[in-house]
Amino acid sequence: MNPEAFLQLDRIIHEKGRLAIMSMLAASPELSFTELRDSLAMTDGNLTTHIRTLQEAGYLCVTKSFQNNRPHTTCGLTKAGKRAFTSYINLLESIIQQTKPK
Amino acid sequence: METNWAAEHLQTIRTLMERSALYRRALAPIMIFNGVAGTAAALVGRFLNLGSTRAFILFWAGVGVFAVAGSFLLVRRQALKEAEPFWSPPTRRIAQAMLPALVAGFCLAVVGLLHATSSPGYPTDQLGMLWLPLGWIILYGCAFHAAGFFMPRGMKIFGWAFILGGCALLAAGLPDGLNRLDYAYAVMGVFFGLFHLAYGVYLYFTEPRRNES
Repeated sequence: MNPEAFLQLDRIIHEKGRLAIMSMLAASPELSFTELRDSLAMTDGNLTTHIRTLQEAGYLCVTKSFQNNRPHTTCGLTKAGKRAFTSYINLLESIIQQTKPK
Repeated sequence: METNWAAEHLQTIRTLMERSALYRRALAPIMIFNGVAGTAAALVGRFLNLGSTRAFILFWAGVGVFAVAGSFLLVRRQALKEAEPFWSPPTRRIAQAMLPALVAGFCLAVVGLLHATSSPGYPTDQLGMLWLPLGWIILYGCAFHAAGFFMPRGMKIFGWAFILGGCALLAAGLPDGLNRLDYAYAVMGVFFGLFHLAYGVYLYFTEPRRNES
């Protein structure tokens, strides 16, 4: 088994919480902060930290607006985020293929 | 071991992606509203003795518009309450999934209406009082079954209940000695009224309250 595949895994996405956020956003063009928080059962602080990390890596775009005078935050994957997520999935699949008994 | 780890990771990602695509609005109030509207409409229609095919179609088209408008208002109210957009991607997916079968039902109504208009002295005919309600029921079931792929709770089974129920009644035909008018309103009332009501009550007691989390 080639250990290089493990080393190539994107460390930013690989963290459990951030991977969950990326997975949710990969299936929906955008999700609100509350939808992500409720679906993933995360605290506001925890989610904010993960979102900031992903945003700094250029994987996430965050849009802040007002709906009915209430702040509304939505998140979506950037092109770089989609690419990184696809590469991550491909790498996981290649790890499975490599270690599959022949 | 590494294979297990990677496979479990992929499975988790898949589950999360599926969960992300699910429709999350509370369905119980929408189902109860439609159930009450359907039951009341069946009783009112029968009481008013709307017996011609044309009146039957127009009456139920009006009920359909009322039910759709009411459902959208309930969805909108939930969206406003949670400071979220009404026409969200999951809502769009549900609408797109339901649309083909609902359009087919609409076309069926138009064909029935054209037929009824061209034959004004042809009340309580086979098309209007047997095939049309059952056709609507089957197509409505197809619409809900398609929407069930983006909904979390038993919606596909609900769709199947309409499809199989409609097909069974179609195969059985009109029971002997039963007035076509009574039959048509009873079928509409049971399927579009009581079925929704029963499912709505079930969801009311089992659906997780979103704001409790």
